Amino acid sequence: MHVDLKKEVTHSSAGRFGIAALAVIALLAVFAPLLAGYDPIAQSAHSLLAPSWSHPLGTNHVGQDIWSQLVYGARTSLMVGVSVAILSTLLAAIVGTSAALIGGIYDRIMMRIVDALIVIPIIIVLILVAAYLRPNMWTIIVLLSLLGWQGGARIVRAQALSLKERMHISAARSFGAGTLYLMYRHIVPDLSPILLVEFIYTMRRAVFMEAGLAFIGISDPNVLSWGVMMREAMDYSYLNVWAWWLLPAGIALSLLIISVTFIGHSMEPVMDPRLRGEASA
Amino acid sequence: MRILSKRNLLTYAVALLLILSLNFILPRLMPGDPLMAIYGKEALVQMSPQLQAELVQRFSLDQALWQQLGSYFAALFQGDLGYSYYYNAPVFDVILGRLPWTLLLVGLSLILSTVLGVVLGIESGWRRGTRTDRTMLSGLMALNGFPDFFIGIVLLLVFGVVLGILPLAGAMTPYAGLSGGALVLDVLKHLALPLASLTLAHLAGGYLLTRNTMITVLKEPYMLTARAKGLSQRLLKYHHAGRNSMLPVVTMTGIWLGRVVTGALFVEIVFSYPGLGYLTYEALLFRDYAIIQGVLLLVATLVLAANFLVDLSYARLDPRVSYAR
Amino acid sequence: MLSIRQLQVSYGSSLVLNGIDLDVESGQCIAIIGESGAGKTTLGLSIMRLVEATVRGKILIDGVDVLALPEESMQDIRWNKVSIVFQNANNVLNPVHTVLNQVMEPMVEHSVKNKSDAREWARSLLTRAGLPQEKYDSYPHQLSGGEQQRVLIAMALANDPEFIILDEPVSSLDASSRTEIIGLLRNMAKDHTLILVTHDIATAAKLADSVATLYAGTILEMGPASEVLSRPRHPYTRALLRSYPNMTTVKDLQGIKGRMSRGTRGCPFHPRCTQAIAACSTEQPPLVPVNGRKVACHRGGIVTLLAAAGLRKSFGRKRAVDGVSLAIENGETLALVGESGSGKTTLAKTIMGLLPADEGEVYLEGKGLPVRDRNFYGQVQMVFQNPGESLSHRLSVLELVREPLDVQRVGTKEERGDKAIRVLGEVELPTDEDFLHTYPHHLSGGEMQRVAIARALVLDPKLLILDEPTAFLDPSLQAKIMKLMLNLQEQRGLSMLFITHDIAVARKVSDRMAVMHDGRIVEEGRSSELTTTPTHPYTQALVNGASDLHSGSGST
Repeated sequence: MHVDLKKEVTHSSAGRFGIAALAVIALLAVFAPLLAGYDPIAQSAHSLLAPSWSHPLGTNHVGQDIWSQLVYGARTSLMVGVSVAILSTLLAAIVGTSAALIGGIYDRIMMRIVDALIVIPIIIVLILVAAYLRPNMWTIIVLLSLLGWQGGARIVRAQALSLKERMHISAARSFGAGTLYLMYRHIVPDLSPILLVEFIYTMRRAVFMEAGLAFIGISDPNVLSWGVMMREAMDYSYLNVWAWWLLPAGIALSLLIISVTFIGHSMEPVMDPRLRGEASA
Repeated sequence: MRILSKRNLLTYAVALLLILSLNFILPRLMPGDPLMAIYGKEALVQMSPQLQAELVQRFSLDQALWQQLGSYFAALFQGDLGYSYYYNAPVFDVILGRLPWTLLLVGLSLILSTVLGVVLGIESGWRRGTRTDRTMLSGLMALNGFPDFFIGIVLLLVFGVVLGILPLAGAMTPYAGLSGGALVLDVLKHLALPLASLTLAHLAGGYLLTRNTMITVLKEPYMLTARAKGLSQRLLKYHHAGRNSMLPVVTMTGIWLGRVVTGALFVEIVFSYPGLGYLTYEALLFRDYAIIQGVLLLVATLVLAANFLVDLSYARLDPRVSYAR
Repeated sequence: MLSIRQLQVSYGSSLVLNGIDLDVESGQCIAIIGESGAGKTTLGLSIMRLVEATVRGKILIDGVDVLALPEESMQDIRWNKVSIVFQNANNVLNPVHTVLNQVMEPMVEHSVKNKSDAREWARSLLTRAGLPQEKYDSYPHQLSGGEQQRVLIAMALANDPEFIILDEPVSSLDASSRTEIIGLLRNMAKDHTLILVTHDIATAAKLADSVATLYAGTILEMGPASEVLSRPRHPYTRALLRSYPNMTTVKDLQGIKGRMSRGTRGCPFHPRCTQAIAACSTEQPPLVPVNGRKVACHRGGIVTLLAAAGLRKSFGRKRAVDGVSLAIENGETLALVGESGSGKTTLAKTIMGLLPADEGEVYLEGKGLPVRDRNFYGQVQMVFQNPGESLSHRLSVLELVREPLDVQRVGTKEERGDKAIRVLGEVELPTDEDFLHTYPHHLSGGEMQRVAIARALVLDPKLLILDEPTAFLDPSLQAKIMKLMLNLQEQRGLSMLFITHDIAVARKVSDRMAVMHDGRIVEEGRSSELTTTPTHPYTQALVNGASDLHSGSGST
């Protein structure tokens, strides 16, 4: 069945909004050095200043420029989000496809592991590991990837199983094609829509998790993150600094997650064509 | 719609085992004195030498790894989760004190968000394409994008700081000495914002799933049959379509429980709500590893158990599943 | 009583039902027969206002126009006055409720009974429908197809409606369930008015009092079931019956050329009709009463193409044709069966005008023929027994086939050549240069006969008279020629007068048969009836003596 992912996304107003918002945030992240007025870690002025021309969002409790922190924070969220999504989706694709194609004991074992991992709340393991290992950003990325691929693997496996039975695969087999050839020429391309949807939703979860971990205080202390900003700002919530410190970080984070959610939603008819016809949102 | 298989007891046992193992292995991977690794520097400083010796003895920390494993499991079976240096009490007792608050928050929130989400999803799916549907859809999808702690923060700011009508922290007004109806009201006032945050954050899950299922269900032949029978709109919506649209929601409840628990962690921190989440946060601050381990173990077990129960109950709701056994 | 007046249903620009007029008397069972796409399901659903489409017209149930009612009032009518038994596809019953609950539901919701009475009544209905008691609390997927159908039937009876619509109630069932369910439905027919919608003519035959044929959203014929199904008057009904195998089928199955398309101007069937005239493509014929039934045809139904009345021809004292009257309808094959010397060939020649009749008249499309003119030969052609003799050995294949066009001066020489080549293609002969210039004596018997047939077809006649066309051919060739004739009839809508001595062959190619003996027609009738229950002793003798592969006493 032919699905055009690009068309699905661009035809839905939710999808368009999501892409636009995501693009804006990505631009902020990429051009952070240009857009930020100051080095975000440097103490550039007095603490807790109100917004002004030189500091559009004021300064935080140690005198760092909030706007600069905001744009640099975008980098963290995006980088973690995308890295985890890539790794996770890759793992899901490999495990899912191999389980489907190889079958037998391998399949049963993998699925047992997958099932067991799905029910474990990720945050538990993250906190446990973070408490002992005091991780840096890369460790977090690896952990998030290792804990997030299972759902995707199930879906990939189901799809690969149904593809395996398709006629054009049997036909290719009848010409003597091998498993690897089948995988790369026929199965994986047909899987790409689903993998893309998985990618988007994993990215969403990763961004959320990273911010959450930073909020609790168990992320990499050297890395600037919107979650960290929110945590620091929380301590001063009784002052009215929250308007330009707490809120912008939260809104930026929410905007990123919303944009990714919208993109994901517009892609959903790929998985279930019966949902097609959602005019907007 | 995510595809879930029937999980049996073995799967849950494996999951539990994995967590227990992780719990066991991690501290013992650290270099240095095992007691210090398990309890942390700060804790050790506070403990008397007798206490330290006793703990070494109880958990066989001076012996080979496999013996430690044995003691570990032995202690677990007895409900001994270690000793909290910060609270100066057995971990088990500390946790038990905080557990009810979290149960209250998480339980109510899960029920509210699921029920509300399903009802909204049914109504939205029924009116697919209309302005009401589209508004609800965009609204809830946007809502879905806000992390629960941010929703909590916003609610706190609006109702607590700016408007000042609801309390900013805690589960009860301290030292108020209230009882009976006044006590209940007080608890509810303190519960309101955390509950609202958590519920709002997870509303979208049930809503979207139900709505999607409604859309496919409404196209099924039995809906035409029901219409032909001249049944009222209400019956068609709930008794016929709704009843079928609910099924995927039930399968997801287990997963959602995990998410709500995660969310509760953050929300409790925002509102300084004295549940297990806040306990964990404090323990992380003070490096009270015993507490961290204990809480996480308990929560993981509860979540797994709840998932298992949900799996069992699904068979009763979807007659096709039980028959297919 | 249910009356439908000028019902028009369209989905957007696509018109599905185009002006349906129907009356159903109480206690009757009417069957709406049609093929897929004809609009039968839409018709059934429209009666209950369950279609999501633009609906115009009136549907009067006991005098109340349901199309004009507000939705709430319609909800009252549904199931109380009229219910429907859907075709048992997957998921027609709600999978999460027990079948008992689903049968009970309409009674309770329409406040016809309270819950416990409803339960009792539902049980009795399920029992009547033949569902075993232990299955009352099952879920739909736990039941077999036949059992689910019974539940649907019981459910439809729940509120004791006056009218029940049945949409393909037995199509998805196996043979034994089918018989039982039909028995059940027959019982239902005694107390309710049934409207059966189906493509399965056998079911309609067993259940219905009257029958209406639906084609592309229009009713083409309507009348008492026994008559319409045995003697159809509309070309489509006849064609439909011909394409439908049943245990009395003797003639090979034939399809209908072309495809059904909607939005045709004029009569919806005319592009595929064998007797269409100019008016058929411009005006839609109204459904009018004709001889005790209703037919929608500008020509009043199937026309008689050729009729002979009281023909006599003698050779001296021998009366070869002794007062023969027969009629050949448009689009049918009439077999004239008799032994040699019975006068069959003489009759054929007389009809063709090759021999002048002593007495009697021949009518072509109702008009008398004093003289056989060019017009006549343009419409009636003959294929003779011995192709070797009927084809001139001086002319090549091309010239032979072109000859009638040359004689009648049709078109230019080139056009005639092209036409000839095309017809040669129709009879499955090669059309390369070499073959076109071959002479008949170089051809095989089968090839020669095909050339003769091509020659007969080149003027596009309406009636083809075939005099023992396979007498000089091997049996295997005979089969091929027979098939060819049937195909040609299907493609061109030919009528055929098929003359043969072999009643077995006649049975395979004809709709009707006339048995000739000593110059007279001794018996005439439908081929299936004649060969199974012959009444005249001569016919019986023919049947008994016919080819039979059984050893021993050779009777059918």
